[in-house]
Amino acid sequence: MAVTQDFRTDADLACRAAEEFVSLYYETIDKRRRQLTKLYMDTATLVWNGNPISGQNALIEFFEMLPSSEFSVNMIDCQPVHEMATQGQKTVLVVTNGSVKFDGNKHHYFNQIFLLTLHTTPSNSVWKIASDCFRFQDWANS
Amino acid sequence: MADGGRSYIGHDDRFGGGHFTKKRKGRGPFRAKMYSEGGPKYLNRGTYPPNPRSRLGDDDGDIAMSDAHEPVRSRFNPYSRGGRKRDDRQGRDRGNFHGNTSREPPHHARNELRENKSWFKVTIPHGRKYDKGWLMGLIQSTCTLPFTPVGYHCDHSRAHFYVEDATVAKAIKQISRTFTDRENFKVTILTAPCTAPEIPNDMSQEEIVHLKSCMQKRYDGAQQALNMKSVRIAPDLIENKVDLILNRGTYMQAMLQIIEENVPELLSLDLSNNKLYRLDYMSEIHLKAPNLKILNLSDNLLRSVKDLDKIKNLKLEMLWLNGNPLCKNFKDQTVYISAMRDRFPKLLRLDGHELPPPITFDVETPTTLPPCKGSYLATDDIKALVLRFLQQYYACYDSEDRQGLLNVYHDEACCSLSISGPSAQNPSRSSLGEYFNGSRNIKRLRDPALRFKLLKHKRLNVVSFLNELPRTQHDLNSFVVDITAQSNTLLCFVVNGVFKVEGQSSDPVRAFTRVFIAVPSTDGGLLLVNDEQFIRNATTEEIRKAFATPAPTPSSSPVPVLAPAPQDMVQAFSLFSGMNAEWSQKCLQDNGWDFEQAAQIFMKLKAEGKIPEVAFIE
Repeated sequence: MAVTQDFRTDADLACRAAEEFVSLYYETIDKRRRQLTKLYMDTATLVWNGNPISGQNALIEFFEMLPSSEFSVNMIDCQPVHEMATQGQKTVLVVTNGSVKFDGNKHHYFNQIFLLTLHTTPSNSVWKIASDCFRFQDWANS
Repeated sequence: MADGGRSYIGHDDRFGGGHFTKKRKGRGPFRAKMYSEGGPKYLNRGTYPPNPRSRLGDDDGDIAMSDAHEPVRSRFNPYSRGGRKRDDRQGRDRGNFHGNTSREPPHHARNELRENKSWFKVTIPHGRKYDKGWLMGLIQSTCTLPFTPVGYHCDHSRAHFYVEDATVAKAIKQISRTFTDRENFKVTILTAPCTAPEIPNDMSQEEIVHLKSCMQKRYDGAQQALNMKSVRIAPDLIENKVDLILNRGTYMQAMLQIIEENVPELLSLDLSNNKLYRLDYMSEIHLKAPNLKILNLSDNLLRSVKDLDKIKNLKLEMLWLNGNPLCKNFKDQTVYISAMRDRFPKLLRLDGHELPPPITFDVETPTTLPPCKGSYLATDDIKALVLRFLQQYYACYDSEDRQGLLNVYHDEACCSLSISGPSAQNPSRSSLGEYFNGSRNIKRLRDPALRFKLLKHKRLNVVSFLNELPRTQHDLNSFVVDITAQSNTLLCFVVNGVFKVEGQSSDPVRAFTRVFIAVPSTDGGLLLVNDEQFIRNATTEEIRKAFATPAPTPSSSPVPVLAPAPQDMVQAFSLFSGMNAEWSQKCLQDNGWDFEQAAQIFMKLKAEGKIPEVAFIE
């Protein structure tokens, strides 16, 4: 019973984190791109349409080269990730779907999957992206 | 006497050459040329014999409109029909040029530029007796504004045509009775607002084919340059009766469409000497040819620098405008240059002259996306592990009973499902109703209790939830897998692919994106702790490709066996057979990991030509 209660707490926490994160993430990538990599852990990995990009420096370089964007999110789902997988670190799986227009390119539908981990310091706690997987639905034709 | 027989080479968009360079205001220049305004007026009008030179057969009969003048200016969208037709045609014609078949149909709804304009019917009483070329040439050269007459026709003694702009209609009315015909009658011109004429506003398939082949001949692949100079008088178009009027939306858009579908990498476009007086229909050119940097518009009829605003989304580096009336608006070269630089900040050359280097602040924004790639599978070991897992997982998932999946979920696993929203693509296709009730989209779902209810937690709940979902058949060949996180305790991978929903009348094809998070199981395999799947309608392209190659036969055992494959044996077999690791493994697996037996079966099947080519593709 206690376990279920904990799961309920985790599930609610996951929803709150996911909602806040999604609005922050897509606003940042659209409007304050230079701040975006602050949302990623130093060791984070992004797999962008099959291209792996790891670490802060590579991510900074990648997002600098990525054309400016206008994202629109239609769907968000999330789950608390089991502690056994994360060695006790609070982790949330966030899944999104929507459409994006990159400057000079046509509209694409995309799916994006994030793993967010909670980092607690004495003064505060922040969620950071541990992994990010982005794919156009029509990537094969792009 | 009067120049009734004066030759004008065209009928609608063509103008008498230099007339447009004349000053706009006043009618002075025309007065000087006018014939006597005296003479008999309105005599014998009714019985006036037809001018032998008039082209009675000129009544095109392409106007289905009633003669009644509609006093209310109506709003309309004259090209909406054409837009739809164009879409159909693109579907059929695509790929003739470079064999490119993969582009999505463009969004046409946005292309309709004309919707708020009003149409006017222009009537010339007794116009039937005039030669159309003479009459239209004179009106076009005398009128202070350029225009495209539409649907010239005669009824009774009158001649009619349509124009689509109130200011143009007014300008035409102003020249009424300012010139005379060969009989010294003043030519009266009446205008009245009307509803949109039914003009044949679409190019036929044949015309498109001719245009495409003409463009193909004029395209220089090495330079990525398309030379459409004087294209309207291109012999191959004239021969095929294609009158390519680039001032018309239909033709311009058809040309841009062919560019988008066949040479989107276009770098240089020459549109010089095409009598262009407006660029309205080029406003999406930056989407059709995003790399276009060199544009030649010289020797056209552009009158205002504002026309260039329509194409200012192009990142032009070279532009030619010489030979357009608008150049005369600039007395000072530096004003001219700066007007162009305002619109095209990266401009390096104008009319062939080098410009002082542009001042930039290094805020240049990139527009090229990194190339998209297939699966990202990290290492070979992980690849083998994950692909084998998926093969076994979906063998069970696609079977009659999904109970077997109990073995692959952790006790505390959770699972949820979501579908694309109502705004998603292909709304016309059947809905995702069968998944609707289980769909968890927290963007739309506010109720915390419902959110929680739709998150299935614990192995039994997860599997019974999955068991309730419609029966499926997944196309394993469609799978694209990305490994997104891996550690000693976790493996997170995302699978994209298509599947058929079985048991429904039409077996609809769906696409999915599913993320699994797994922990190592005690026997060295994978145990799922998280499972989220997103389901949407498949696109036409995905449906076309779905199940194109035969899927490997499902594993005989519905219960996944998650022991790790002996990779050394797989590698050895791969070396022996030349098949990729996946197929090597499958062959070994099907033969109970007996190398000898697997090798014999392989040789036999290969000799019979029964092994698909995909098995040999790494």
